Amino acid sequence: MNSANTTATTDRILVCCGTGCIANGALEVAEAIEQQIAEQGSSATVQLKVCRTGCSGECEAGPVVRFMPRDLMYYRVRPKDAQAIVASLEGAPVEKLMHKVDGKAVEHMADNPFYALQHKIVLANVGVIDPLSLDEYRAAGGYEGLARALKMTPEQIIDEVDKSGLRGKGGAGFPTGRKWRTAAGYDVFPKYIVCNGDEGDPGAFMDGSTMEGCPHAVLEGMAIGALAIGAEEGILYIRDEYALARDHIQHAIDDAYAAGILGESVMGSGHRLDLSIVRGGGAFVCGESTALMASIEGRVGEPRAKYIRSVQRGLFDHPTVLNNVETLASIPAILRDGGSAYAQIGTDSSKGTKVFAMVGKVKHTGLVEVPMGTTLRTLVYDIGGGIIGDRPFKAIQTGGPSGGCIPESLLDLPVDFDTLTEYGAMMGSGGMIVMDDCSCMVEVARYYVDFLCEESCGKCTPCREGLRQMRSILTDICEGRGKPGDIELLERIGHTMEDASLCALGKTAPNPVLSTIRFFREEYEAHISNKECPAGVCAALTQFAIEADACTGCGMCTKACPAGAISGDRKEAHMIDPAKCIACGSCREACRFGAVLTTRRTA
Amino acid sequence: MSEMLTISIDGKECTCKKGEYLYDVAKRNGIFIPTFCRSDAFEDHRACCRICIVEVEEGGRTKVVTSCVYPVERECSVQTRSEKIMEERSVVMALLVHRAPEAPSFKNMVGRMGATETDRLVTLDGEKCILCGLCVQACNALGTGAISTVNRGTEKKIDTPYGKGSDACVGCLSCANVCPTGAIEYSETDTTRTIWNRDFELVRCEECGQVMGTQNSVVFAAADEVVPTMCDSCRKKHLADEMMATYRYV
Ligand SMILES: Cc1cc2nc3c(=O)[nH]c(=O)nc-3n(C[C@H](O)[C@H](O)[C@H](O)COP(=O)(O)O)c2cc1C
Ligand code: SF4
Ligand code: SF4
Ligand code: FES
Ligand code: FES
Repeated sequence: MNSANTTATTDRILVCCGTGCIANGALEVAEAIEQQIAEQGSSATVQLKVCRTGCSGECEAGPVVRFMPRDLMYYRVRPKDAQAIVASLEGAPVEKLMHKVDGKAVEHMADNPFYALQHKIVLANVGVIDPLSLDEYRAAGGYEGLARALKMTPEQIIDEVDKSGLRGKGGAGFPTGRKWRTAAGYDVFPKYIVCNGDEGDPGAFMDGSTMEGCPHAVLEGMAIGALAIGAEEGILYIRDEYALARDHIQHAIDDAYAAGILGESVMGSGHRLDLSIVRGGGAFVCGESTALMASIEGRVGEPRAKYIRSVQRGLFDHPTVLNNVETLASIPAILRDGGSAYAQIGTDSSKGTKVFAMVGKVKHTGLVEVPMGTTLRTLVYDIGGGIIGDRPFKAIQTGGPSGGCIPESLLDLPVDFDTLTEYGAMMGSGGMIVMDDCSCMVEVARYYVDFLCEESCGKCTPCREGLRQMRSILTDICEGRGKPGDIELLERIGHTMEDASLCALGKTAPNPVLSTIRFFREEYEAHISNKECPAGVCAALTQFAIEADACTGCGMCTKACPAGAISGDRKEAHMIDPAKCIACGSCREACRFGAVLTTRRTA
Repeated sequence: MSEMLTISIDGKECTCKKGEYLYDVAKRNGIFIPTFCRSDAFEDHRACCRICIVEVEEGGRTKVVTSCVYPVERECSVQTRSEKIMEERSVVMALLVHRAPEAPSFKNMVGRMGATETDRLVTLDGEKCILCGLCVQACNALGTGAISTVNRGTEKKIDTPYGKGSDACVGCLSCANVCPTGAIEYSETDTTRTIWNRDFELVRCEECGQVMGTQNSVVFAAADEVVPTMCDSCRKKHLADEMMATYRYV
């Protein structure tokens, strides 16, 4: 699938201006390139246009610049590279800015394994078109899905979505067609369609990038949903920190009104649709459906018991469909190309694609969109390029703060909603954190529990008090005060939280603890019985030393140590002063020769 | 006409209206389910203490639900004391006891219901509040809305906005009176009541001298009517006396 061939006749230089690349100086790069074009002058035959796109996915190698139609990809571009880049348009490519596979420079996006194994539907236009241009979106097939939907009855639209097998990508994987059908069945008006753009998972940025990079796709999905259920009003609830996403969405809304796509008569059909933005309440729990609606209504962002579903009584007690950004952005393609085309991608129970934000100890981090059912191994090793420094893989954490950790033995699991849940993790919204052997799984569990202690709403007992007690027990274990029976107590609290908590946050909050106990129990036991942290992370249990034979005396560790605990002459073996060492592990990270060893703390 | 259903609770056949809350059905049939955050005084229940969990078997599937807000929509079989429920309830109980070690009523409950015995749980020293939210509901029901839950996660608590004396508060003590654990502190001198960081002038009945409330609460309760100067019982007595005087000769 290549949507790039729909671009206009002028040559275009695509400068990624997603949040990641802007942070790395993309705006300066775009300016420098524009200046160079002005100075070098485009030749008579080639018109050059610099197009500021959304995130191309490989943020860690940004700013990313791409030439179209020649399809040249440049990475880690600096403003000073602008001259060479513009000059290379008709000449030899600038090798030092290209991706290398086995030492050979890769020219095209499709040849970079990071992209080659991906299948882009939601992200098809992200990083390719100018997000602020309605024309470019339309040229890429945008709003054709809505045009088709306008010729269909609501049932036909819902049938098409049903046929696609699309399941909600906000985490729970609820079939979108079924949700729409239920909402369509209630004769209570007004009805609402709400887009969940809260994305509170730390480390996740797929929804933000989609809203930034192709805002019209989200609006088109909402418009189609509104037609299907009979809503005339829609709200986009966008995370407070997402200023750029909000700007782009607002820009797209304004353009859509001006073009008659939104407003009194959607594309001249006589259907009314108004869309507006509400800024998120700033807590992770505000992404939960009932808390989100409370927040829109101006109340405290607390979940409520959900025995009566939002499709029946949601926003302002009216039928409401809440869908995730990625779910909605999948809709236009389904209506345009048909539900069966979409259903051909993916597995039996999970259709289509999923966008993941892969971060952590993997060589290529960034946004990836793959068919459902892709294995974790493909994600980590083929797309991600393996573990940094080729260290051993230890675990992959999926599903956000209340997801779970999956060990190496399960790397061949296909990633879909049901498989991940079966193994105590979950799809969540699509965060993936890759961990190497220098991660302590007890400490990882403690970290997430700590996050959830602050981000739960704190309304119900099991979640609030269960997390408080888990935090204290896990801290004890990490600091050498673990006691026999702690693991079993954590499990009892965890199971109670799963069953008795009020909302899905509390019900899933024990996942980080239960999944690490399930797959890494011996690591808990080592902490509790031997007072040892096998990964050498928990400071209270770990002692660092330098192996004289392996040390080259390069001094990197000395520079890295924040406590000034390392001494040694150049090219001589270095030493760590245990009295000064704070066991932070910086030296181990810094050493390129594996000379820093950890042992059980004896003192 | 609402539809009637027959369900079984702990083996007992119970009839109920479709949509009725499970807890209400159980109670009517003499089956005890513990509750902390639910009160007949309010129509809405926060469903936050989670002590009222029960197991429901519906169409071959068993799930744990909170009975105080679970609407009975179809035939089902309910267990209020299954092994799973007793285990999880005892964990919830242990969590609450350690959260609010100073709540006296809890000690008795533990004796009756059992809580997971463990010395591994941390306690919040001096805490009495179990965050049931009844005080907030009471205050909202009055229309004052002076207190709410503030903060989130483990830091959640009940307070006035920014922890300062609130203009909305009338010092009526509804919150303190509804609180099951006596967690809301207030003090009184002859002339002043102090609650939620604010001092209120006390008003006494001009007849018997009993405290009628705070100046603010008496005015608030009177709404647009004349502000009373006598307590309820004195006023009734007065009314009776007046009636006597009027009708004496009839
Ligand atoms: C604690 C919590 C946080 C959530 N955060 C998000 C979020 O940031 N974005 C999102 O789309 N869904 C989030 N969800 C899931 C939503 O409740 C809801 O299921 C989803 O938005 C429905 O859309 P979908 O069917 O398209 O997935 C969260 C759920 C929970 C329990
Ligand atoms: S489970 Fe946690 S987040 Fe959900 S209502 Fe209970 S306290 Fe709040
Ligand atoms: S103060 Fe009392 S009534 Fe209010 S939440 Fe705490 S325990 Fe419940
Ligand atoms: S922001 Fe440019 S690649 Fe992600
Ligand atoms: S009484 Fe039902 S949750 Fe508290």
